[in-house]
Amino acid sequence: MEELVFIYQDVMPSLLKGLLVSIRLIIPSALFGLMFGVIIGALRVYGNSPVQKIVNAYVAFFRGFPLVVQLFIWYFGLPHLGIYLSPFLASVIGFSLCSSAYHSEYVRGAFLSIKKGQMSAAEALGFTKIKMIGYIMLPQAFRLALPGCGNEIIYLIKYSSLAYMITCIELTGQGKIIASETFKYTEIFFIVGLVYLFLTSIATWVLHHLENRLRLPGFEHYR
Amino acid sequence: MLKENPVLRIENITKRYGQKEVLKGASLLVNQGDMKILIGPSGGGKSTFLQCINFLVTPDNGRILLDGKEVNHNSKRELYAYRQKVGMIFQDFNLFDHLTAFGNVQIGLMRVKGMGKEESGERAVSELTRVGLKDHMKKYPAQLSGGQKQRVSIARALAMDPEVMLLDEPTSALDPELITEVLAVIKDLGQNGMTMIMATHQIGFASSWANEMVFMENGVILEAGPPEKILSQADCPRTREFCSSLADLYGDSR
Repeated sequence: MEELVFIYQDVMPSLLKGLLVSIRLIIPSALFGLMFGVIIGALRVYGNSPVQKIVNAYVAFFRGFPLVVQLFIWYFGLPHLGIYLSPFLASVIGFSLCSSAYHSEYVRGAFLSIKKGQMSAAEALGFTKIKMIGYIMLPQAFRLALPGCGNEIIYLIKYSSLAYMITCIELTGQGKIIASETFKYTEIFFIVGLVYLFLTSIATWVLHHLENRLRLPGFEHYR
Repeated sequence: MLKENPVLRIENITKRYGQKEVLKGASLLVNQGDMKILIGPSGGGKSTFLQCINFLVTPDNGRILLDGKEVNHNSKRELYAYRQKVGMIFQDFNLFDHLTAFGNVQIGLMRVKGMGKEESGERAVSELTRVGLKDHMKKYPAQLSGGQKQRVSIARALAMDPEVMLLDEPTSALDPELITEVLAVIKDLGQNGMTMIMATHQIGFASSWANEMVFMENGVILEAGPPEKILSQADCPRTREFCSSLADLYGDSR
């Protein structure tokens, strides 16, 4: 009983506060990450060779550096160049860029798996390259990439917990603070874990519905 | 001469893939309202030749003139404008998989010609009606038969108001029954004065409707002439051999 009152009165309000910060981190990071990922993925397939080299280097860098190290660079490193980012902003930038590198790989694979005839048909109608990519290739590629990109978004929900390493106190950060005050590590981190499970479940549900919405006749078996 | 009214003048097209010379200087003169039929063995360069004509494959050498004006394919703007005037039909249809039959016809009008939604929609309906698919407009490519897909692709090309149509074996991926419906649409186009270059093995169709048959092998146009001549008394022995094997196979070449 005492336990429940403690959870209700002390743990829940702090975790809720942390949860709100987490959500504010996740939503923009997921959107920007996906947006940049689509652009970078398209450039990696359709860009000319210097552009491809640049974006490939971008992806190598952001996939190769550990995310915590990237966050440290954004938050602790940039002030040496006179650029000061808030913990929140540094986290969103770090997550978006890292996420976009992973998304771009799913998007690239999707573009490459579209039959070449789709491109020939668009070219034969007089489409410019950009319009062809935007109106013909991307709507198809996005559908093919969605399961993979969904996976990355779910992963992002969990690695958003790294923000507390650069003092952006979100769900995990709040959990750690209460846990070290009360020494109830097991209970508190179990609850924190459940909240992440809840968030990923919602994301899974939304993504599943999006996939169904966008599903085309004749492509059912690709799912 | 009165007959000299070339819409399309194709001069000395060459194309090489690595060591392999696919086209060794192919030329063709296409007059207004012509139906030219390209025949020849697979790998003979028919498809590459057609793709070179609208620069889906960039020729190594040679010139193409539309209405007497040379097409500069290095200028993107000129190239995109030229391609709108030269429609292309593919063997495997290449309908846009994410769009309905209606959407397939509309998208070029909206995104290439810059038409509004309503105007392009009306045009799309009228083109689909013309190929007999008014009742199937809302279907996606996967829900259409091969013949219907090919008719949608013809409607899509026609909507752009091309001056010339290139047809790359439009019936080769179809069942015999579906071939008839597609050929009927093509015949109809020809009767309405559309200028066409078509690669096909349907010599029965070709002998009734072509102005000229062009035999192509190993990247060279070996012989061209009226169908009666090419099919029964060609000058070149290789042409005769090929045509007699087609006749054996299809049995309807007179």
